[in-house]
Formats: sequence, C-alpha cells, structure tokens
Amino acid sequence: MMDTFTEESKTGIGARNYGEPIIEITHLQKSFGENHVLTDFNLTVKQGENVVVLGKSGCGKSVLIKCIVGLIKYEAGSIKLFGQEVSTLKQKELDIMRARIGFVFQSSALYDSMTVKQNLEFPLRRHGKQKSKTEVDQLVEETLENVGLMHAINLMPSELSGGMRKRIGLARSLILKPELMLYDEPTTGLDPITAEEISKLMLAMQEKYNSSSIIISHDMHCAELTANRLVVMIDGINYAQGSFEELKKINDSKVHAFFLNSK
Amino acid sequence: MEEKSDITISPVKKSEPAWVTVIPNGLRGFLNEAGETTRFALRFFREVFFPPYELREVVHQCYEIGYRSLTLVGLTAFIIGLVLTLQSRPTLSKFGAESWLPAMVGISIIREIGPVIVALICAGKIGSSIGAELGSMKVTEQIDAMEVSGTNPFKYIVVSRIIATTFMVPILTIMGDAIALCGSFLAVRIKSSVSFTLFFDQVFGATDFSDFLPAFLKSFFFGFAIGLIGCYKGYNSKKGTEGVGESANSAVVVSSLLVFVIDLIAVQITEFFGYI
Repeated sequence: MMDTFTEESKTGIGARNYGEPIIEITHLQKSFGENHVLTDFNLTVKQGENVVVLGKSGCGKSVLIKCIVGLIKYEAGSIKLFGQEVSTLKQKELDIMRARIGFVFQSSALYDSMTVKQNLEFPLRRHGKQKSKTEVDQLVEETLENVGLMHAINLMPSELSGGMRKRIGLARSLILKPELMLYDEPTTGLDPITAEEISKLMLAMQEKYNSSSIIISHDMHCAELTANRLVVMIDGINYAQGSFEELKKINDSKVHAFFLNSK
Repeated sequence: MEEKSDITISPVKKSEPAWVTVIPNGLRGFLNEAGETTRFALRFFREVFFPPYELREVVHQCYEIGYRSLTLVGLTAFIIGLVLTLQSRPTLSKFGAESWLPAMVGISIIREIGPVIVALICAGKIGSSIGAELGSMKVTEQIDAMEVSGTNPFKYIVVSRIIATTFMVPILTIMGDAIALCGSFLAVRIKSSVSFTLFFDQVFGATDFSDFLPAFLKSFFFGFAIGLIGCYKGYNSKKGTEGVGESANSAVVVSSLLVFVIDLIAVQITEFFGYI
C-alpha cells in the first residue's frame, strides 16, 4: 500500500471538517475460491463525505459495498457501520440498519413487474413505519420531483431509458432519506451527457439530504465531479487515496493509469 | 445496455472424501442437484409457516399463475377430450361397446389424462415463466435490491409462488377435466344423438369418489413440484442473460419429468390402498 499517498491526502480535501465516522472498514478480506478479491482493505468514511472508490473491473469494488450492506459475508476484518459491526448483526438489526442506507445498483435493479410508483413505494412499505396512503403518495411525488421524473410515475421500467432508470433507482434509494448512499457504477452504460447529469444529481441529492456516499466507479469524470476523496483499489487493498488533484499529480504508473483518459 | 458483473466468482473448491471421486461425474452432478433442490424445498417448509406472511403477493401470484393459465389449459383440455373420444370410438365400435364411450373417456380423463396433461401444460407455461422471471431478477440484482429494502426475497418471491402453484394446479385440473369432458361430449354428439344429460349421467355413473380423490390429491404435488423447480432454477440462475434462458429451459424439462415421476409414485400408492 502506498502510505505516502494516504498521508498526503490528509493535507488535501480530506482535511476538511467532516462529522463522526459512519463507516470504519479495517483489514477486510473476501475470497471466492482461489480468487482473493479483497486482501486487506481499509477505509473510513465520515458524515457528509463523498468517497469514490476507483478500480479496474473485477478488482472487488462491488464486492466491497455488498459487504458493507450485508449482501455478501466477508471472511476476515471488520466493517463498523454507524458504530455497529455488520457481521454480528441479526437479520432484524441488519434490516433496521439497511433502512439508513440507500443502495443504487449498477443495473438500477428496478422491479420489472411494478410501475415506477410501486417501485418507490416498495421500500416505504417494507422499511418504514406504517404510513397513510396520502403520506406515501406525497413522499413518492416529492422524490420523483427531486429527480425530475414526475411524468414517469405510472410507467413500467421497460418503458424507461437508461438514464431514466438510473434516476428512478436513485429516487428509490433516496425515498427513506438515508444517511449513507452506496452507488455501484452509477454512470456505467450512459452517454457522457447523461452521465454528467446523473453525477450532478447525486451531488445535489447529497446536499439536500446531507448524506455521505461511497461511489464505486471507473468513470473519472464522475469521480472528479462527485468526490471529496478518491480511493484507488488495486489487488484488494486501498492502494492510494487523496483528492482528485492530488492523485492526478502523483508519479505512480498504477495510479496514473486511471487519469490517462480523463480531461 | 447489459453490463457484465464486476467480479469473477469461481466455485469454492472443498476437499472431497476419496469415495466421492469414484462416482461418475454425471451421477455426481445429478446427486448434487437433487441435494440442492431438497435443501431448497426444506428452506421453503422452514419459511412458509413463520411470519411475516406475504398474503398479498400470494393472492397476486394465484391470479398470475391460475387465471392467466386458464385459456391455455381450457383450450388444450377441450382438444384432448375431443380427440380422445374421436380416436377411441372406432376401437370400441369393433367390440360393439360404443355405448361405453362416455364412461371410458370419463374415467381416463378424471383419473389420469386430465391431471397429467394440465400439469404438463403448467410445467411448460408456469415453470418456464417462473424460471425466466426469477433468473432475470437474479441477474439484474432485483433480488439483492429486495433484500436491501428489508424484504426476505425467498419469502416474497419463492414461497408465494410455490404456494400459488400448489393450490392453482389442482383448481386448473378440475376445470381442465370439466372442459375435456365437454370436448368429449361434442365428439360423441357429432356422430350420435346422445343428450348432454345422458352423456354426463354415463360419465358420473361409471366414476366414483375414489377415481376423483387420488387424481385431485396428486395434482397438489404436481403444482408443488412445478413451483419448486421453477423457483429453484430461477433463484440459482448464473451466467447473466444466458443463464436466464437456461433456467427457463431446465425448469420446464425437470418439472415435466418430475410430473411423470410423481404420477408413477401416485399410481403405486393408489394401487396399494386398493383404489385401482
């Protein structure tokens, strides 16, 4: 691990005053058979911070956030989310914890058999305390207006474009007003204009709801727009971290490779 | 655009006992699949009796699975009843037993042909649809999204569908039997002037409750098998969109095969209790 980069980051944007740590990941390990995806990953995210995790395809970025939310069990190390160790939580405790987290999936993961409105109602009916129909309708409409897709309320996911699906996926994750947002490749598969719109929307929503984010991406433009701090994941470890400008200046071929195609 | 998964997952290699290596690969694969399916079924029984109950989803699935299959089942049953009667008539005529036609067709349909044909139609329509739907949900991360939303996906998706198929296939079977008998009546009516009342008098005069009950009971097992296999194949779908097709295909093949196996066992049990 290139500790110097980590130290350097402390003088950069990472030195801004954020709140208490909401995620503390230490020595995280996860393998799939012979494929050691996470070998010794460490990361702390503070309240209000936007962290982008960069890495090549297949390096374990998606596995990392799935471990955070308890979808994948890790083998060693620790993930402390809001002060609680994820691996020791019982199912009910995990469900309560998940209500505080918004997860935007790479494929948007909209329920094909439900309309946009039903997609947004689903987490409300499952996680939230019993709300009246009027309250639910108000929340759905407010969230859809936030992502600019009020007109799509009665459409089926199959009728939406890629960008619209991402927005609806984002809206569904935001409906419970989460404290932490996890984005899995939010701009992958989108044209550059739509990708930029999604990145700006993510930032706007973070400001509106005052949430923290971990954004998994290999889209450098998205990283530049959204990140307070970047973490480069190589060989299952946090190889380097710092602000966009700091990492861009670093003379390391592995880190530099990520910036070759960025503006 | 379809994105490939970000990670490559290779199966965990566990050390196997020496005797396992003696078993041929094909047989080992079959036993492994049978074991996993049994485990899946046991999980169903573990989850079905404990809250939360997804009653709303069960009702929705009953509508999707039962009501939406009615046209296909009805049409097929009608044709089967009609064709069976038309094909049987010449043979019975040779023995001067034409008057036995309604009774013979009635027993055949109620005891065997009705339940099996309806189950096979359902294996094709419902099995493939469940396999493809769940497979697609799996590869597009909808099942993960459900879990993140505080929902037990197994209970919401699998349990509700298996309950729906278990109770809908017997109902479809009764409807299929009735429609097949109507088809049979039409075939009889084409060549002779038997009244509707006389035809059904002969059918029900030749059959009793012991003909109907075993057939009705086995259709619950057919429904359970169709739901279980469809859900198992879809829920464990792999290899992206290619896996979705495979899930749908193998759901149909395995559940159709299971229908025959269950039918064979049911006949043996019926015989054991003296109903044949």
